[in-house]
Amino acid sequence: MAPLMVGAFYNPHLGAELVRAEGIDHLAMADPPAPSDTHWPAIKQRYTLLLHDYLGQLSEPLDDRAIARARSLAALYDTPWVAEHFQCLHTEDGTYNLNYVFPPLYTEEFLARFVANATALQARLDQPLVMENIPGFFDVKASQMPEPVWLRRFFDATGAGFLLDLPHVWLEAHYRGVSPETWLAEFPLEHVVELHVAGVEEDADLHGPWIAPTEPSDAMLELLAHAAPRCPRARAVTFDAFSPSLTAEVLLASVARIRAAL
Amino acid sequence: MSDRGVQDLVIRALADAPFRDSAEWRGRDLADPDRVERFARFLARHFYFERIVHFFKYSRALARVTGRYPEAILRRPGFDALLPTAVLGGRETARAVAGLVVEYVRDAGRAVRYHIDLLRYQEAMMLVEAGPRAWTSSGTGAAPETVEGTLLLELDYDLPVVLPKLLQPWTLVPEAPRRAARLLVARSRHGRVAVARADEAVASVVQLADGTKTLDDLARAAGLRPAELAATLQDLTEIGAVRFSTGS
Repeated sequence: MAPLMVGAFYNPHLGAELVRAEGIDHLAMADPPAPSDTHWPAIKQRYTLLLHDYLGQLSEPLDDRAIARARSLAALYDTPWVAEHFQCLHTEDGTYNLNYVFPPLYTEEFLARFVANATALQARLDQPLVMENIPGFFDVKASQMPEPVWLRRFFDATGAGFLLDLPHVWLEAHYRGVSPETWLAEFPLEHVVELHVAGVEEDADLHGPWIAPTEPSDAMLELLAHAAPRCPRARAVTFDAFSPSLTAEVLLASVARIRAAL
Repeated sequence: MSDRGVQDLVIRALADAPFRDSAEWRGRDLADPDRVERFARFLARHFYFERIVHFFKYSRALARVTGRYPEAILRRPGFDALLPTAVLGGRETARAVAGLVVEYVRDAGRAVRYHIDLLRYQEAMMLVEAGPRAWTSSGTGAAPETVEGTLLLELDYDLPVVLPKLLQPWTLVPEAPRRAARLLVARSRHGRVAVARADEAVASVVQLADGTKTLDDLARAAGLRPAELAATLQDLTEIGAVRFSTGS
């Protein structure tokens, strides 16, 4: 297994610090660079960049405009792979949009939709597609199979890579009352190309933990140390925090702690 | 109902508080109601955090003199009181949330001469971005219609001069020239909010295009030559301010 790259998300408000930072191998791009971003040229020159934008939801086919945008961003970043999420966050007619990652029902119908639409997208990209798992805060009774089974069937059918978000696994395990390692063992780790690590904090609305732009806890880093050797195709670990409230200190310390945990 | 249809119901339940409270949703018993409610509240705070940070970014830039970050309203009682009726993306909810922001930061910015105009501008951006996105226009036809939600703003200060300066480093609050400015705020069908200066021709067309007037009627009413009207309509269509009715 080749050494893992360790990186973070590009947070434009931390551009000055990231231009001169040490110990960061790559940056994931959640948004295109703003025209007014004076740090962007140096960032682009210095880092391996990973396309991690919102391209669309693969419960529906991406239209030509979305695919052209994905191709354009992939070329701009010279990304080694293109990431999307297992999400279905807006209604088919566009009337309601949660504006936040939300998983599909784990059913045969949705599996067929995601397989068909991911396959079509892969055919239009020049880079491999990787797909990220999304946590559910509650189960929907209409689902027909456990999430890990649904994911395994998706990856087997499409050959896409797996972007394993460890905090998402950790949160689901927490709300299911099982250990993270036990829940992680259900997932198709042989397909993992990239791992995400992040912090979690108590959320007053959820009455429990959720993703937050904070340092990963020791428990999260232990889960990373447990998971990484079980992902033989993994190439990168990314500190998954993208927020105006994120500080340079938290970002740099998190990347350093992730590197130490591996 | 297809699985896609069931997913749409779940999404609507999370986005639309009155629907979440309806017999139609509750009767389906698709998920734990307490978990759904908690997640819906989490989503609402996230949804409006994103919009306040984006649309009220100039007020955020001024927070070091006003001492008031607009997104602070999300943890105040006024926002909690909205949650039982909130519809994410709805225009009425956007109006209510923007109103909370304006009320919270208005007095603290009194020293900034153009502050009221600035708040009206940011509020307009947030309102125009809200509302339904499903359009049925084919983009051709004979009766142009101003898109619902498009706004014309009449300002006392020339804000476009000062807005970029507010986002750059500054020591003294940048000044805006005191001269009238008329701005058009519109949203494309892809959700992008655009702002353009509006001259008399633009303002006339936006005010008169009601989906019933033909191009000849509109040209006459706006006092424009056909070529002027065509150019104006092209610009307005591109930014999403006007669409062409297809009839029924």
